Amino acid sequence: MSQFISKKDLLSWLSKLAENRSLVAPARVADSILFRKIDSTEEIVFNFYNTNFSPKEFFFPPSEALFSVEKKDGQIKLVPTVTRGEMVIFGIRPCDAKGIATLDLPYLEEPGDALYIQHRKRTGLIGLSCLTACPECFCTSMGTGPDDASNFDIMLTEVEDGYIVQTVTERGKTLLPEEFLTMKDVALPPAPLISLVPSKGITDKMRQAFDNPYWSRLADRCLHCNICSYVCPTCYCFDIRDCTNKGRIDRVRSWESCQSPGFTKIAGGYDPRADKGSRLRQRLAHKLIYFPEIYGPLHCTGCGRCVKTCPVNIDIREIIQDIQKLERESNA
Amino acid sequence: MNPSEEIAKKAKELLQSKAVSCFIGYQRATDGVTARPLFVYTPEEADKLVFDQTCTHNLVKYLLSRKGKATGIVVKPCDSRAINLLLIEHQIERDEVFIIGVVCPGIVEARWNKTSDKLKDICKLCQQHSPVIYDSLVGEPVPELQAEAYPDVARIEALSMAERKAFWEEHFSRCLRCYACRQVCPGCYCSECFAERLDPLWVGIRIAPSENEMWNTMRAFHLSGRCIGCNQCEQVCPVNIPLSLLNRKLEKEALELFKFQAGIDAKTPAPFATFKKDEKIGIGE
Repeated sequence: MSQFISKKDLLSWLSKLAENRSLVAPARVADSILFRKIDSTEEIVFNFYNTNFSPKEFFFPPSEALFSVEKKDGQIKLVPTVTRGEMVIFGIRPCDAKGIATLDLPYLEEPGDALYIQHRKRTGLIGLSCLTACPECFCTSMGTGPDDASNFDIMLTEVEDGYIVQTVTERGKTLLPEEFLTMKDVALPPAPLISLVPSKGITDKMRQAFDNPYWSRLADRCLHCNICSYVCPTCYCFDIRDCTNKGRIDRVRSWESCQSPGFTKIAGGYDPRADKGSRLRQRLAHKLIYFPEIYGPLHCTGCGRCVKTCPVNIDIREIIQDIQKLERESNA
Repeated sequence: MNPSEEIAKKAKELLQSKAVSCFIGYQRATDGVTARPLFVYTPEEADKLVFDQTCTHNLVKYLLSRKGKATGIVVKPCDSRAINLLLIEHQIERDEVFIIGVVCPGIVEARWNKTSDKLKDICKLCQQHSPVIYDSLVGEPVPELQAEAYPDVARIEALSMAERKAFWEEHFSRCLRCYACRQVCPGCYCSECFAERLDPLWVGIRIAPSENEMWNTMRAFHLSGRCIGCNQCEQVCPVNIPLSLLNRKLEKEALELFKFQAGIDAKTPAPFATFKKDEKIGIGE
């Protein structure tokens, strides 16, 4: 027996949730499917593989004022940024929930990022498990999987006429009152088979490949745009600048990427990562060496968005395979 | 021989004879159906080269990173205009580039893991099916079509000012300033882009409607009379901003005002690089 919610009850429940909090869900925007704040459940797209961008932007927005400085009546006042109200995000795939759990590691580490903590505390996560594997996915090689409920408050799995409900956290219990649920004699469908990449032992192999000419060859075709970092559910780099705004100054944090030329340019004009190869290597090394060395898990959830979106097919799955092979060749 | 074999054969010859030290073409991408750029350094690797209607990339951008090194390259007709642009602007040397031009049947709509038989919208409007500059041609040259039509631009021009403003505000609101449009553009090669300049500060880093509008408008203006219409910017945009409409509007203006189209030859100087004392173009009169 499983906890079950019918399709009709799901819509009523989501509408009820939206009464006193923001409801964010996959919606169709200009040929893309994106997480957007929605006003009616009719806007929700249920039939999708995955959204074009992860829900990262609701925890780490593309731009956000850290605080503001206001000058009024000869007084200078520091105004902290405060986010109000609760939010629920519906329709997150397990890879993206793992992405949020991965963002938690640097952003919740003591003393914690004040704004990230606010966003995280006010947001409930409702997942949709994957019934189909995308051709670019490799989540099971990155410590999660199509049926991984562990990073949600509630996870739903579509079955006939409705969804099997797995309530994971106390917040999940509060969000979903029992009146919407029934017990039904239906079992979880088998998880789809996800393609594997040889991620085992990759940290060591990456370290050995640090000086390999592989990186500059790979970077030949890299455009050094920021797409891979921006579609990535785990990339968390930013730039900070002061922006004047009608007598007030906002200290703004905006997304930035290690791939952009000049990311590491320092006073005097020196750039320790001026060549394309070292920039591309940095992104992979952060994902596969530095992050796991500091926090444990690999800094990738296998969502495959960078694979799918890169204009020149820089494919992390291929890179991991190549790096594993490089070592074998040098041993021979 | 099909185009892939012809290109591979020529590339092999060029690398074997050391006429070039690198050949830039296309190879099959990891999805098995689309294409990606390929840099070939040895004759053996040339067998990986392919050419078909999924070869969307304008490889000419890469010539900017090969200055001073003899390089072979595959260009479609629109890409070939980028070579002329870079020659006119003194960014590349003609004798350092061996150009294999391909007569282009048009590029098809293709996304990751999915191709189609449907030509890209921009290719349906294309008037240039033979390369304008090449050393070696693949395919039979086809007659050039003279009339440039801008049905897509006309549709936007027909809108009211308020409607156009709303149209662009809606599109720019999605912009994430990933700068893929700039990074892929063969005409964008400033060593310091205005977007990164701090003094003077042209545009702030905030990813928000007003800054996004500034970025997108200035990017387009910097390419007025320079854009060669390869449409790579729109192709790579991860949030589907219809940048071709901006670029083609400016191309249309340059054509009407100066009877100039960028990259058609390597001799005619660009309107914005030319000052004629007696020139009257009806601006401000």
